[in-house]
Amino acid sequence: MGSATAPTSPNALCFSDGLPSTGLPCHVEISADGLTVRFDEHNGLGDVNLPFRALSVSAGGLNHDQLVVRWGTAPSTQTVYLKDPSLIRTFRSAAPPELMKELDATAAAVRRARSRNRMAWGITAAAIGALMVGIWFSMDLLVGWAVDRIPLDWERRIGESAYQDFLIQHPAVKDGPAVAAVQEISERLIAHIPGNPYTFEVAVVKSEVVNAFALPGGYVVVFTALLQQAENAEEVAGVLSHELNHVLERHALQRIVKQLGLVTTVGIIIGDQQGLARVMKQIGVELLSLKFGRSQETEADVTGLQLLHRSHIDPSGMITFFQRMTQKERGGVEWLSTHPMSAGRAQRLEAEIARLPKTAAEPFTFKWNTVQDALRPVAVRG
Amino acid sequence: MKHEILYPGAFPMVRVELAAGETIKAESGAMVASSPTIDIESKMEGGFLGALSRKLLTGEKFFFQTLRASRGAGEVLLAPTVPGEIVIMELDGLNEYMVQKDGFLAGSESIKIESQMQSLSRGLLGGEGFFILKVSGKGSLILNSFGAIHKVELKPDQEYIVDNSHLVAWSGTTSYHIERAASGWVASFTSGEGFVCRFRGPGVVYIQSRNPGSFGAWVRQFIPVSE
Repeated sequence: MGSATAPTSPNALCFSDGLPSTGLPCHVEISADGLTVRFDEHNGLGDVNLPFRALSVSAGGLNHDQLVVRWGTAPSTQTVYLKDPSLIRTFRSAAPPELMKELDATAAAVRRARSRNRMAWGITAAAIGALMVGIWFSMDLLVGWAVDRIPLDWERRIGESAYQDFLIQHPAVKDGPAVAAVQEISERLIAHIPGNPYTFEVAVVKSEVVNAFALPGGYVVVFTALLQQAENAEEVAGVLSHELNHVLERHALQRIVKQLGLVTTVGIIIGDQQGLARVMKQIGVELLSLKFGRSQETEADVTGLQLLHRSHIDPSGMITFFQRMTQKERGGVEWLSTHPMSAGRAQRLEAEIARLPKTAAEPFTFKWNTVQDALRPVAVRG
Repeated sequence: MKHEILYPGAFPMVRVELAAGETIKAESGAMVASSPTIDIESKMEGGFLGALSRKLLTGEKFFFQTLRASRGAGEVLLAPTVPGEIVIMELDGLNEYMVQKDGFLAGSESIKIESQMQSLSRGLLGGEGFFILKVSGKGSLILNSFGAIHKVELKPDQEYIVDNSHLVAWSGTTSYHIERAASGWVASFTSGEGFVCRFRGPGVVYIQSRNPGSFGAWVRQFIPVSE
């Protein structure tokens, strides 16, 4: 212990028995021989001069970023915590070789601890990334599993409420040649669906918008404007066949489950189908504004063509209607906004037709002219 | 700046007297009342990115409020959201404190607040999240706890075990690591403790007498489930 000198600004904390547990601020000076620890005069503690050989070092603090210098023997060990990087550098440059070894070992241990920490973060980030990628790519598979687990009854209830709501705002045409024609086309198609689990309901709704859509559970709506635009019954059959196949392939349910996200998907797989309608309500999934994905459209096209073929209806009506509507379309053809007719799509449909064996088409019992004539006055009056 | 804790116990407040021109920064929403001479400013401590990182990383509020005695001396009353004690510490410029995200109530203008990332094991199992606040500089630091606040003083190399989620703040000279509460995995969880933090001195550790997470779980069972 030396004599007390003029106070200097503290740059370290000193710890030992009898000192506060938060450490006593002190000033550490480093010379070629060792270090001097000075305390504020009012603490009543004198300077401490310590040769390097009396010291041992280690790393301390939460992130091992402080140099802990220790001296004395237990139980009267004393330590100073150095945090200032320039002070630590001065200590290193002044330290004799034997203490340098200790310092290097300490620094190596800290580096190892930090690299272990970084590695742990890296591995975790990579694992989370891999999991996300895995989920992203297996999402369709997961959605498929989830949809398979939704009972038909539930699907029907989901579709029915949207269907009824729609019909309240847009009254269905009750009877007449148009309704009879749509019924005949639908019945022919439905009769050729193998193992059909659905009870389809097809409604004709008076509207100047060219549109048709299908809701989960087997509810299909055709707008009168679409019937007016169709040049023959085969074109209407093409649209209906496409829509029926959206139902059969449960495309709407797939979209809903996908929109609701992973939590719901997993919930359904685990067995919480009951929650679907509630969750839909909560986040406001609008069945009527649901758009199908490109792969779902292709699937409905292909299975739709096959159904037309099995039903002995000329499948080329599907293509001609899409193409004509695309050429004509300058607004008002809502159906095309969800069913854009690209050149690729037309080619795919034509290739699919070419693959199907040729069969003779069976005509319908109604005359298409009569249907359109019946629609005209309705449209004018409306 | 003078301060005083009013109504010590479960529902305390701090009265801070500011001289003309003096400022104090406080957690957003902490002000209860003030003299008409005090202006409230919203400030993103550490700039936009600093504030954003604090918000995203620690869950602390994006803005701190700065209360400035711009129109003459006055007083401010501050209180935390949760019931619990308040403790005032004087930082000497050398001691740094790590503060869990909900522990900061207010501090002098001169203190520095940063977000600090914890190691993976501490972040995952320590109960404070991956990021905590590092408070340094010279000035007053006002902390609040959930329940009573208890100070544990640790001598060099002295160890102490704290259940995770009971930590409020600890000095930068201490270190801790996470370990299972009991020797076996099953016993660790059946004992109700799971993981604990083993602290090593020197330094001080402030702990809170209630665990916010456990309290939340306890309250949840009384909330009616709406269909």
